[in-house]
Amino acid sequence: MSQHNENSPLTLALPKGRLFDQVQDYFSQRDLVFKFEKRKLIANDETGLLKIFLVKNADLPTYVNHGIAGLGICGEDVLYEANLRFFRLMQFDFGKTRMCLAAKKGYGQPDSIRSVNVATKFPRFARNYFYSKGVPIQLIKLNGSVELAPILGLAPYIVDLVETGSTLKANKLEVLETLRDIDVHLIANPSYYKLNYRRINHIIDTLNKNEHEENQS
Amino acid sequence: MTESKKRYLQVPQGTEGVHLEEAYRHRHITQQLFELFRLWGYLPVETPVFDFYDIYEPLLHHSTKNVYRLIDREGDLLMLRSDITLFLAKQMGLWLRDEDLPARICYADTILRHQHAEDISRNEFFQVGVELMGKAGSDADLEILLLMETSFLRLGITPSIHLGSHKFLTSALEGCTENQLNQAMKYIFAREMDLLQELFATLFPVRRADALVSLFSFIGTGEEFEEKLKGYEDVLEAREKTDLEYLVYLVRQMKTLGFAENLCIDLSEIGAQPYYTGIVFQVYLPGLDDAVASGGRYDKLLDVFGFDCPSVGFSLLQRKIEDQIDAKFGRPDKISKVEHSSFLESFKAAQKMREEGVVTIL
Repeated sequence: MSQHNENSPLTLALPKGRLFDQVQDYFSQRDLVFKFEKRKLIANDETGLLKIFLVKNADLPTYVNHGIAGLGICGEDVLYEANLRFFRLMQFDFGKTRMCLAAKKGYGQPDSIRSVNVATKFPRFARNYFYSKGVPIQLIKLNGSVELAPILGLAPYIVDLVETGSTLKANKLEVLETLRDIDVHLIANPSYYKLNYRRINHIIDTLNKNEHEENQS
Repeated sequence: MTESKKRYLQVPQGTEGVHLEEAYRHRHITQQLFELFRLWGYLPVETPVFDFYDIYEPLLHHSTKNVYRLIDREGDLLMLRSDITLFLAKQMGLWLRDEDLPARICYADTILRHQHAEDISRNEFFQVGVELMGKAGSDADLEILLLMETSFLRLGITPSIHLGSHKFLTSALEGCTENQLNQAMKYIFAREMDLLQELFATLFPVRRADALVSLFSFIGTGEEFEEKLKGYEDVLEAREKTDLEYLVYLVRQMKTLGFAENLCIDLSEIGAQPYYTGIVFQVYLPGLDDAVASGGRYDKLLDVFGFDCPSVGFSLLQRKIEDQIDAKFGRPDKISKVEHSSFLESFKAAQKMREEGVVTIL
């Protein structure tokens, strides 16, 4: 776990990919400006409050769980799969998406009698969701391009994140059901938060205060 | 490498072996703690490695998934020792008599819990702790808090103690359904204060809901807490005020005695185990990923096992803190070697040196 003292910056893990630009914009609007030099994965914000690590989205909970980064920003989808204990200190209004059940157009809902194949990057979520509905399924774990599964005949159904739906549309797939709305959270390693609560609360206040001011203007 | 050698290199998740210098250090630390407990009048107990699962199941709450279970030759379901306090409560519930009280008990033993594959650094393998059974009230609570802080100080560590109250939680949510209580606890554990606010808005008038969310979010010094309480005089029930003022009293007493250097009141500490009934606390250390010690008052736990008596205690996860402990607990610096012309002479010389306290090898 990263050592801390009152003078060292707080450590924050950010995910590579879709969320990164949105987080960077959101923070810079609130005077927490940072940028990564080419190919570098560690950067400091200009005020010296934060030391920021750029990590693979699915690995982010691991870094925060071990306290390597005390704080992190990631979606509910990743948190659900990790199934680890974090403090959820703040929910952002950007990066919202949906966890959806999708299939080829006209395929219809899976029935609750025969087991069907479902391909997904989110096996824990998919398993628990169908279990709660009493629908038997066989899970096929994929690591990306899940939309290919119905097209190539690997599985008729997929459970995946849907933002605009354009990727599904391009592949002649359709959303059958939204299973859960996915929000983006500021998370903390519980021990790290307890030892640094004053400084972390200050960061949260900065983000919230500026957000409110922005809304008022 | 042969297949059998590869197999020997693997150990199941949640187990570990400790060897040589590390094992020496481990035992040395345990001995130091036991010596301290002895001076405070605590006697050691040993608990069984496994016991019947069904009697503990209602007390395990969310931790059932971390428990290793097995079936004995008669077909009974057993569980391996995952929490010494639980096993101890049954033992003491069976064997304690009124005339034994108050009983001061200490233990140091291995616990076995499943660990998430992502979570292998938790080191929750070895619990050292004490229980003060048969004594209610602030003197007992203070004794345990002071002994816990002293234990860390003896190891050269200044602990950050976060003191909360399970009693305040149950007072504040009295009359709520079990489901609502569980929901509130879930939000407090995860510090999802927006969701806690939404829940409380459905249960309480606006000002009381705001006050409770603000209190369950609070972490700070005793003085800051007293200041905060002044703003909520009109929205708290008398019983709730008593629960909270009790925390202030404990902190003041500890300060008076020169303790509580790094202690704060933290009402989000509500106790992970369902058996807590009074104060609850956890200890955090820089560089470690989770609490290293926890404890509190559990006045009804022994009653589950047939002996109604108030209790308070703490346990620390020794393996988690060993890397942070002073080097003086390591292997002895000086090891002398004697080499005389014969083994007999060497042995006699070595024995003499050993009697003088010198670590000697032949």
